[in-house]
Amino acid sequence: MKRCRTWRKNIPAAIYGELDAKTREKLERHLALCEECSGLYAGMAATVRKLDVRPAPDAPPQFWEGYWDRLERRMVSEAERKALPAAEPFRPRRAFSAPRWAYGAAGALMFLALGIFIGRNLLRPPEQSIVVTRAVPLGAVPGGQTALDAGTIPRPLPVRASHYLKRSRVLILAVVNSNLQTEDFLSLSLPLQKKTSEELMIEAAALKKEIGSSDRRLERLISDLELILLQIANLKSDPDGSDIEIIKAGVESRDILFKIKLNEARSSIAKSTAGLAPGPRSDSLDRAIV
Amino acid sequence: MSRRDEARWADRLIAGDPSAFRDFVEAYKRKVYGLAYEMTRNHSDAEDISQVAFMKVHRSIGTIRPGRGLNTWLYQIVYNTAIDHIRKRSFYPQGALPSLASEPHFDGPPDPGAGPEKAAEAACLRRRIDEALTKVSERERAVFILRHYHDLKLKEIAQSLGVTLGTAKSYLFRSLRKIQKELSEAEACPDHGDRP
Repeated sequence: MKRCRTWRKNIPAAIYGELDAKTREKLERHLALCEECSGLYAGMAATVRKLDVRPAPDAPPQFWEGYWDRLERRMVSEAERKALPAAEPFRPRRAFSAPRWAYGAAGALMFLALGIFIGRNLLRPPEQSIVVTRAVPLGAVPGGQTALDAGTIPRPLPVRASHYLKRSRVLILAVVNSNLQTEDFLSLSLPLQKKTSEELMIEAAALKKEIGSSDRRLERLISDLELILLQIANLKSDPDGSDIEIIKAGVESRDILFKIKLNEARSSIAKSTAGLAPGPRSDSLDRAIV
Repeated sequence: MSRRDEARWADRLIAGDPSAFRDFVEAYKRKVYGLAYEMTRNHSDAEDISQVAFMKVHRSIGTIRPGRGLNTWLYQIVYNTAIDHIRKRSFYPQGALPSLASEPHFDGPPDPGAGPEKAAEAACLRRRIDEALTKVSERERAVFILRHYHDLKLKEIAQSLGVTLGTAKSYLFRSLRKIQKELSEAEACPDHGDRP
C-alpha cells in the first residue's frame, strides 16, 4: 500500500514526461502488477488529454494594444507619488479646540473599551461547553479516562485549535532545529514526525472547516501550517540538507512560529477575560484540557 | 522559452538596455496575465496583478543574477502577488470564485475545420473544465496551470512556489484527481452523448 502511494505521486510526472528512464521503467513494472494504479494512470492520462480542449485563457486583442501605455502611466504615477513630499493636509478651523493630550487619552480609552467589549463578548468561550464539563466530573468515565479523552464530549473549538498549534510547533521545532551534520539528526525520528504531520494535516482540514470565516487569521495560520506539515510528511526517509532548508525557509518566511506565539497570547487574553466574567468556570476544565 | 533565451533577457535587463524592460513586458505579458487570471478568475484583478508584478520586476532588476532562471523568478513574483491580492480581498469568500464562463475572455478563433456539433461539444467541455478548476485550491491550481499551460518543469514549479519537489508532485496529483472527479461527476454535455 505504501509502495502504491509513492508511485501514485509520480503518475502525473510520468504523464507529463518528466520521469527519468529508470524511474519510468520501475513505475511501468509496478503498473503491470497493480490494477488499481494502472487504472488510475489511464484515467489521469485521459483527463490530461481532455484538458487540451481548453486553451490557456487570453484577453481580447484590444486589451493588449494599450497594455504597455497603461503600465507605463501607472509606473510614472507611482514614482511621482513616492517622490512628492507629503503635502500638509487642509485643516478646517475648529469651533473649539482641546489640548492634544486629550485626544490621545480619549483614543486610548476607546481602545480599552473596545478591547474589553471584544474580550467579553467575542472571545468568551461558549457557555455550553462549560456547563457540560461541570455536569460530568473528571474520572466519571470508566477505564480511568477523562470524559474529554473518551470522546463523549467534543472539545470546544478554541481548545482543539490551541492543542493543534502546540503540537505543530513542537513538531516544526524538532525538524527545523535538526542538524544533518551531527548525530542530532538521528534523534529526529523521522517516521514518527512524518506520521504526526499526516495526522495534523487531517486535523487541520476539520479545524478549517469549523473555523470558516469566524477567525480568518487562525484559518490562514492553519493553512500556512498545512503547507509546512505537507512538506514534512513528504520528506524522504533519508532527507538531504536542502529539504530541511526549504522547510526552514518556509517557516521563517511565513513567520509561522511567531504567529503561533501570537495566537497563544490571544487565547490567553481571551481566557483571562472570560475568567473575569461571572459564571461557572471550573478548574477541572483546564485540567481536563491538559 | 529556452534557457538561452532566458539568459539573454537577464543579460539585457542587467545591462540596463533602455528598451529591454519594454521588450520583456511585451514578451511575457500574456504568460503573466494568464497565470494571474487563472488564480483570480477576474479580468480586472488579473490586469492589476500583472501590472503590480511587472512593477516589482522593474524594481528588482538589480537583484537578477546572470544565468539564473528568469522564468522561475518571474512566476514566483506573479504567484506571490496574486496570493497577496486574493488575501487582501478578504471580503470575497474563498471557494466561491466566479465561473470563468461568466467573465468575458478570448478563447481564440474557433477551429474552422470543426463542424457546429464538434464546436458545441468542445465549448461544453471547456465550460466543464472551467468549473472543475474552481474546485481546486489556489496552490494546487497554480501548480497545475504552470505545468499544463506554461510548460514549467515540476522542479521549476517547486522553486517558484517555494516548496519541495515532493510537495509540488503531491499538488499536481491532487489537482488532477479533483479535476478528473469533477469532470466525471458533471452532467453530460447536451450535444454529446457520453460524459465529458
